[in-house]
Amino acid sequence: MNAPGGYAGAILHVDLTSGQTHTSPLDPEFARHHLGGSGFGARFILDELLTRRGAAAVAAGDLPDALSADNPCVLMTGPLTGASMHAVARWTVGARSPLTGIWGEANVGGYFGAELKAAGYDGLVITGAAPRPTYLAIDEGRVELHDATPYWGLDTFATEDALVASHRRGATRAAPPAPGSGDAGARGAAGRTAETGARGADARTARPGHVLCIGPAGENLVRFACLVNHRGHVAGRTGLGAVWGAKRLKAIYVRGTHRPGPAHPDRLAALRTELDEVYRESIVIEALRAFGTACQWDIGAVLGDVPMGNWRQGEWERFDDLGPLAYADKLDPRARSCFACGVRCKREVEVTGGPFRMERGPGPEYETVAGFGTVCLNSDIEAVAKANDLCNRLGMDTISCSATIAFAMECREAGLLEPEQGVDPGLSWGDGAAIVALVEQIGGRHGLGDMLAEGSARAAERIGGSAGAFLTAVKGLESPLHDPRSFHGLGLAYAVAPRGACHLSGVGYWVESGGMYLPEIAELAEGLDGMNSTGKAAAHVAGQDYGVFFAGCAGFCSLGGMVLTATQAVDMVNHVTGFDYDLAEVTALGRRVWYLQRGLSHLFGARADDDRLPARLATPLADGPTAGSAPDMDLMLGEFYALRGLHLDGLPRRDVLVGLDLGDLADLLGT
Amino acid sequence: MGLFKSSEEFEEMLSGFFRLAGSRPEIARPLLDSRLIIRFTYSDPDVVIVVDCSGDSLDVRPGDTTTKATVNMTMKAEIAHRFWFGKVNLMQALTRRQMTAKGPVPKILQLLPAIKPLYAIYPEYLRENGYADYIVS
Repeated sequence: MNAPGGYAGAILHVDLTSGQTHTSPLDPEFARHHLGGSGFGARFILDELLTRRGAAAVAAGDLPDALSADNPCVLMTGPLTGASMHAVARWTVGARSPLTGIWGEANVGGYFGAELKAAGYDGLVITGAAPRPTYLAIDEGRVELHDATPYWGLDTFATEDALVASHRRGATRAAPPAPGSGDAGARGAAGRTAETGARGADARTARPGHVLCIGPAGENLVRFACLVNHRGHVAGRTGLGAVWGAKRLKAIYVRGTHRPGPAHPDRLAALRTELDEVYRESIVIEALRAFGTACQWDIGAVLGDVPMGNWRQGEWERFDDLGPLAYADKLDPRARSCFACGVRCKREVEVTGGPFRMERGPGPEYETVAGFGTVCLNSDIEAVAKANDLCNRLGMDTISCSATIAFAMECREAGLLEPEQGVDPGLSWGDGAAIVALVEQIGGRHGLGDMLAEGSARAAERIGGSAGAFLTAVKGLESPLHDPRSFHGLGLAYAVAPRGACHLSGVGYWVESGGMYLPEIAELAEGLDGMNSTGKAAAHVAGQDYGVFFAGCAGFCSLGGMVLTATQAVDMVNHVTGFDYDLAEVTALGRRVWYLQRGLSHLFGARADDDRLPARLATPLADGPTAGSAPDMDLMLGEFYALRGLHLDGLPRRDVLVGLDLGDLADLLGT
Repeated sequence: MGLFKSSEEFEEMLSGFFRLAGSRPEIARPLLDSRLIIRFTYSDPDVVIVVDCSGDSLDVRPGDTTTKATVNMTMKAEIAHRFWFGKVNLMQALTRRQMTAKGPVPKILQLLPAIKPLYAIYPEYLRENGYADYIVS
């Protein structure tokens, strides 16, 4: 069975408990129906749960805890991942989230996804847990599990360096086998080589591969731990690094050279030529190239998109201290990119002296500058860079980490956290040193950090009192740094996103905020007035359907891909895969995957009561560009539930699911 | 017919506003530091204004179609007017081509913090200079 263009044609299954691995071919019909990334991931997770626990148990909600061995984890590329085009290096990690308890997913760029596909796999399904620290090596056709004890405790940078060096030395063959729970002898003693392809290369002379790993935070089961590849490329959200920590999976090393080609190379080349002009002319791309994601800073300030003081204030006199000019002046940024992408929106920075000295490495992006900066009222961009560097090394999501620290600062201000509870007496708004210290405490689960490592929602429950009023999380996931009082539809997007507060679960935010223009989609063609809730439900439904196809499944980057029209995006997918999708089919595909993601969250217990925006984000501000503005959540949720065919308890109607070929999900949900 | 009565009125109104901006040191300083020569080409009504930041002080030249500008911005007069009220989503206007900007984008974006105070000044300027009818609530 030949794989469609762009696909490697195989899924690798890894059982860490037994130490066994096997490969399954990618069914072309399955590929057409789910495309990749989130679509593959959600379907594989549901199928794994059904296979291992049975339909009755799944329907009854008898499902594995996120930090148990039985929680399956998937890594899935899209058909575009690894193509030589701008803005298509993305791929997806999924599992039940330790932070939220529901469907967890993180989307990431970098180099690992492209390398995995070149090594022969469209994705991985990881089950079980190893008895001791383990890493997986995929070198061309050769798949091995190894003892990772020497790497346990290392930060993500050191882990990557050590594994690359080890494999460069050809240490693969000398590494001891990782003990499984069964009979090691039955699996073979020499590194437990599960599959040895004919393409094995000499690791001593070949270029190095890429590493995806967890840091100490994942090992310590910090509930917002993340996965890191190529240093600053991070699968950040929903705590999937802790899932690996619970499985004692430290890293995956991957190297491959057989990149699948497109089905229609001539058509793809012509599209590339057309897009070269688009990328050359776009002011959005030019801004991303010039300033990285921080290019949103000043426009965001004008529009009221940047939250400040744990989302309580609309203006701050130190705002410009964190802007692109300060960033350039103090951090000496240099551009870096994801695989094959000429947008180069990533930054490498350094701080050469002072309390926040850091060696040159990945720099903070917009979300991180806002999170550790304006939200904590910390105007020191060097402290922000240091906190970001620590999060990268420890392996923690900067959005959840910074939001949880801001939450702690407000608890401290309100007298709910005292020094005897392990709180730094100096923990106060704007204290960069205290922020940096707390990041380290959280990663190591020391002092107050141990409680905050549980995430802000769990911490609020433990602290009690009025702490819950300081939360900015939806379904337990801390909100990203875009304010729904500026773009009302974003409030709806946060409330109903399957994984919790998320501005990337669709393209609605990008259209509403102005960066994306999709004239082919009626609901998104007209400019949307940000501070108005009317009509936003329809726009965001359309934005979810298209966005799940675009960024979730195909592998487009939401930033670098922002300049593409829907026609160009669908054309690119068709030229690579050889499919003949039209816009209606890809939006139907996106819709199917959206219901699948939401269905998983329902199976894990989410209901209508969870589709709520925290009061803090729905309370009008007294000052700033959004003064007096708040999303009308009742209006938008009512319209959204009607458009999506959701019952009052939040579950989708049976006919809606059956119409999307999700009858099995309808049976499981009993809807 | 657009919002404005005549090209002369719009030219006078906006030129006066730019001159006012040039008289405020906190706004003029970063503009002069940029050394940019910016040509605004408005339509409906058709007006051209050059804001020259290359000298010692801000030079506002209505009708200048000959100077070679480093930045060329085009938009409808009404979009420009609403922009100074903070009522235009700049990103949306740019992606939908309601506004175009040609030139060194980084330098243009670097001016955004400098011009922020002008959003508050613009309604005052209109009120004090006989253009109160154009104030957008």
